[in-house]
Amino acid sequence: MGIFSKSSGAFRDAKGDLILENVTKSFATFTAVDDLSLTVPRGSFFALLGPSGCGKTTTLRMVAGLEQPTAGRIKIGSTDLTGSRPYERPVNTVFQSYALFPHLTVRDNVAFGPKRRGSADPVGEANTTLELVQLSHLADRKPTQLSGGQQQRVAVARALVNHPEVLLLDEPLGALDLKLRREMQVELKRIQMEVGLTFVHVTHDQEEAMTMADTVAVMNLGKIEQMGAPEVLYDLPRTKFVANFLGQSNMLHGTVQGIDGDFTVIGAGDHKVKVRTSRMAPGEGGEAIFGIRPEKTRVHDEAPSATLAGASLGPGTLLDVSFTGVATQYLVDVPGVGRWAVYEQNLDLDRISNKPGDQVWISWNPGHAFGVRS
Amino acid sequence: MTALAHIGSTGAGAQTPGGPAPEPTKKGGITAYLLLLPGVLWLLVFFVAPMAQLAAVSLQSQFPGYPGYYYRDVNFGSYVTAMTEYLPQFGRSLLFAGSATLLAFVLAYPLAYAMAFKAGKWRGLMMICVIAPFFTSFILRTIAWRQILADEGPVVGALKWLHVMPSSGRITETGFAVVAGLTYNFLPFMVLPIYASLERADPKIIEAGGDLYANGLTTFRRVTLPMSMPGVLAGTLLTFIPAAGDYVNAELLGSDSTKMVGNVIESQFFKVLGGFPVAAALSFTLMAVILALVFVYVRRYGTEELL
Ligand SMILES: Nc1ncnc2c1ncn2[C@@H]1O[C@H](COP(=O)(O)OP(=O)(O)OP(=O)(O)O)[C@@H](O)[C@H]1O
Ligand SMILES: [Mg+2]
Repeated sequence: MGIFSKSSGAFRDAKGDLILENVTKSFATFTAVDDLSLTVPRGSFFALLGPSGCGKTTTLRMVAGLEQPTAGRIKIGSTDLTGSRPYERPVNTVFQSYALFPHLTVRDNVAFGPKRRGSADPVGEANTTLELVQLSHLADRKPTQLSGGQQQRVAVARALVNHPEVLLLDEPLGALDLKLRREMQVELKRIQMEVGLTFVHVTHDQEEAMTMADTVAVMNLGKIEQMGAPEVLYDLPRTKFVANFLGQSNMLHGTVQGIDGDFTVIGAGDHKVKVRTSRMAPGEGGEAIFGIRPEKTRVHDEAPSATLAGASLGPGTLLDVSFTGVATQYLVDVPGVGRWAVYEQNLDLDRISNKPGDQVWISWNPGHAFGVRS
Repeated sequence: MTALAHIGSTGAGAQTPGGPAPEPTKKGGITAYLLLLPGVLWLLVFFVAPMAQLAAVSLQSQFPGYPGYYYRDVNFGSYVTAMTEYLPQFGRSLLFAGSATLLAFVLAYPLAYAMAFKAGKWRGLMMICVIAPFFTSFILRTIAWRQILADEGPVVGALKWLHVMPSSGRITETGFAVVAGLTYNFLPFMVLPIYASLERADPKIIEAGGDLYANGLTTFRRVTLPMSMPGVLAGTLLTFIPAAGDYVNAELLGSDSTKMVGNVIESQFFKVLGGFPVAAALSFTLMAVILALVFVYVRRYGTEELL
């Protein structure tokens, strides 16, 4: 390490926000990450969410230095890390497969980083961190003698012990059962708040992303579709992909037919619905997609009053009613629109009177609707 | 698992066409013994019996005045002869086999490493090159080396022309040639286990070394090498054990002064009248020495989880 320590030091002391500038990664002819730019504020919990193969792991690997970008720059604060080696960066990774050293004990796994960094007391640091993840009692075991959840915590401890500027977590909870997963989510969030590091967390699980992160970025085909606070992203998706990927959306494909006060009217055939103009994704006239979340809608067995014009649809045929305990899900086929889902909370016990085949209408509060471009 | 399946099948009434499944434990027990049987028989007939015979021979005594005739006895005299008269050959066997093992390791590790991590589409071809020599008899290949390294051969000629070697120098009939032959012949047994253990290692674990502030060299020393230790262990054993007992290389590439235990055993058995007990005693002694060395070695370097 000696000959590298001088130059490594400069990279390793980098502090500040994680910044990706126009980062592109191509494998032969295939572009895995396409002109990606983002800033993760120092000390925040950032979740990268997207379908399989969209480039999440590739993005993390470039931040870790395990892969070099084809174009673009990666910085922490004002230090440009592009081109530096993984061991020179103040970044640690919790690998999806844990990647624990099989020949070392849990304690030695955790002490590995501190030893390489030349810490005065690597074993002491390892013990303290193992305490944090509540694994002190298993410190002398080999990784193969641990359960999946315990291995995962060792992987977190092994990265965390180094107090990196940025901690990368690549679907670290993917292999766990639901209960352990929820526990680990709480644990990770607690640790992040306690130590105040920047976490970049990759996941397939939208619920996980939304419950844990300060900022969620939805990625698709190597690009970030939309980025923001979870509640903002859920409430106001700006692309069709995000509307469908993050939760579920009922959609109506139509054309913009005009403005009505604060609202934009979207029409398709005989149907006209309205969206607050401020909740329309930017773009010029023409085609547009109206969207509304299933839990923001209601079913009725009579035509709604004229006051709900633009905030209702019908009549349609009820295809399916399923009672799930706290809620009831309806599936309604509206001619010319398609199948819409309605989730109603079971606040009122004698609500379930409709049967499949019945004629129903759907209504909603127009303020909840959103519009995206096709 | 079997027990669970068993309970499930009777409970649900969904039985296999052949009727209710037999008791899993009983079936497992009998099957296990049946599966063991051929191996145990093989060992009894081809290992235990010859060993007992060899032990009996090593303890026989000679009829005085009738060379080549023995009677059953418990006489350790042959062992004393083996240990005193042939000590140099013993030492040479261990030295040559140890040197060949070390050389083979030094050559094999980079090769196996390249095959596992760097070869890409060439991996298959490299594998074939490692295995291809097995398609010819190793005696023939060793004889071929004798030609190549002969005094009038191209290697010695070139070395003399370059003045790397004095004009009186030679390669064959030296210890160097024997060690080189052993190294050459047992190299694949070193390469293949190391390759297998490297190939099996998760590349993510090696990347984790870099992620945790270890540079390339440190990652190799602290992560890659320890993870390939099972392969190194297997490779060194597969090289050292047969090399220590080998006599073909010393016979074909060496001289009288480079004889190994294998050569002594061979000549005692086939060329010396009345040499059987000494040959048998030598065989046993060699086996005991190797077992002791291997035991110490495995205790020192073997890690139970990885083995
Ligand atoms: N070394 C490589 N060579 C060629 N293509 C690659 C390589 N690594 C990744 N890719 C491709 O890049 C794309 C993005 O891969 P990446 O591993 O980043 O996906 P991901 O978003 O992490 O997916 P997942 O959620 O399934 O883990 C994939 O289509 C993959 O096939
Ligand atoms: Mg991935």
